[in-house]
Amino acid sequence: MIGPDDIPYLPRGVRLHFDRVRDTWVLLAPERAITLDQVGQAILAEIDGARSFGVITQALAAKYNAPAEEIAKDSAGFLGALKDRRFLELQP
Amino acid sequence: MAWSKPQIREIE
Repeated sequence: MIGPDDIPYLPRGVRLHFDRVRDTWVLLAPERAITLDQVGQAILAEIDGARSFGVITQALAAKYNAPAEEIAKDSAGFLGALKDRRFLELQP
Repeated sequence: MAWSKPQIREIE
């Protein structure tokens, strides 16, 4: 499970892309892609490879005016699923 | 926009 001190980043070859045909955000990786909803896109937009997961969840909590605990739980599950699929890595 | 649990869908 991703922790507050972990620093997530998108590995080389993975990028956010707005797909105009589907009218939705997609996360592209070589030969693979997943579609994102607005919340998923908002989480990934905060990931810069420098800020920790704890800092990111605080920023999202302020942006959405929602409890940081709920955001941390949902975001950790989401990012964990992306990490399992190799769409995301954590800084060593 | 309200917070909701994010969903992902794989493009086959």
